[in-house]
Amino acid sequence: MRWNYKKLMLIGLSALLTAQAAHPQNPDENGTSAGYTPVLSGTFAYVQNSNAGVTSLEPEIETVLLVPFSSHVLLESRAEFTGFFERQFQTSGPYVGKVFKNVDYAQVEWLANTHVIAVAGAYLLPFGLYNERLGPLWIRNLQNSPITDLIGTRPFGIGDGIQLRGNAKETDAYSIQYSAYFSARSSINQLAASRLAGEDASIYLKHPHLEIGQSYQHTLQEHQINSVATYVSWQPQQTPLDLKAEFDRSFYGEGYWIEPDYMFTQVPWGSAFFRHLQFAPRLQLLHPLNGGGNSLPTKNTQEFDAGLNYYFRDNFRLVSSYGRQFQQHGNENIWNFGATYRFIWPLWPGRK
Amino acid sequence: MSRSIFTAAAVAALPLLLFPFVLHAGAAGKGDNKPQQSRGEQVFAQNCSRCHVPPMSIPPRVTGTILMHMRTRARLSREDEQALLHFMAPK
Repeated sequence: MRWNYKKLMLIGLSALLTAQAAHPQNPDENGTSAGYTPVLSGTFAYVQNSNAGVTSLEPEIETVLLVPFSSHVLLESRAEFTGFFERQFQTSGPYVGKVFKNVDYAQVEWLANTHVIAVAGAYLLPFGLYNERLGPLWIRNLQNSPITDLIGTRPFGIGDGIQLRGNAKETDAYSIQYSAYFSARSSINQLAASRLAGEDASIYLKHPHLEIGQSYQHTLQEHQINSVATYVSWQPQQTPLDLKAEFDRSFYGEGYWIEPDYMFTQVPWGSAFFRHLQFAPRLQLLHPLNGGGNSLPTKNTQEFDAGLNYYFRDNFRLVSSYGRQFQQHGNENIWNFGATYRFIWPLWPGRK
Repeated sequence: MSRSIFTAAAVAALPLLLFPFVLHAGAAGKGDNKPQQSRGEQVFAQNCSRCHVPPMSIPPRVTGTILMHMRTRARLSREDEQALLHFMAPK
């Protein structure tokens, strides 16, 4: 089955019109002024990357289309348009390159009740912290993904099939979230997937703002490997710290990353400047197993990154980072400079 | 740099990095449950910043749509979604 962008746009437009016919927005139906207008959201980003002295220019547009059919059924899809331009002879010559187009996911959700949300279609694999939650360009505080993000998400990063997810239990002190999924093997252009099954579950302790979770995945084709992840996310209430850490292991390798991001909102002087400034360090290590592969490095790899981001507004920021990667065949410096802008555009006229 | 040295440095650095924050958070004590804070505000404070910088404003006519998306992504309960709707798009 071959998809092209004209077909996808046509489907999106049809869905939008159908949604409006089926569910004209009614802001007062739940006692609020909230409307259910279709939305085009996403990120404009530009990052200049220098890796071991080779510079690349990477403009990117990431769009998320949200089309509600009622307050219980939502169609959503994310597509990326990424430019990649390098000098013709790596360090000299004119910049040449191309634009890559990619559909990240396309799914329909039925928000059945507080415990069950059924998802069908091509969905992001809920494995670890990164693929589903921290992947969007406007969310990630360091533009390079952790190396271990490749575990449990490759080769395709998505599953084609069904997923059940939701909130299993909630009290004033904690909540337990879960996802369980099955994906069929698929070769649909842009939406290819492997045959696999997996789950993710986490407990969130509300008072300390601490989340502890784990993911498991079993591929049901070829080598039938297991992948596991455990992760922690902590945002202490009185300190502008956002600590995230994850350990991943699969047949091809194991490793971890630790990222304690800090907003300088408590600096006693120059607060007009410092309260917008964020420090984002990350320490990571990957140890290949059984020769590595499946997108993972084949040699021991360690990397330290330190990022500085400046938020002009909650949706517009400058990003920068320096990283040093240590490998057996040599070490490399990695620099990133750029900006990200998140937008939310209603796709249907409605009341102001 | 060998793997073991790197691991040891990481393990050693983490408590040093976190110690002041843990102390600070602990000293701040249990003044978390501000009585004037609505349930929607609590849900907003507890959940949005787990992944991203909370948005300053979202147009009311798309708030329902955005919260359906976020309820799925963050696996929020129906009650939390309703509390957020009342907080982010009051009548």
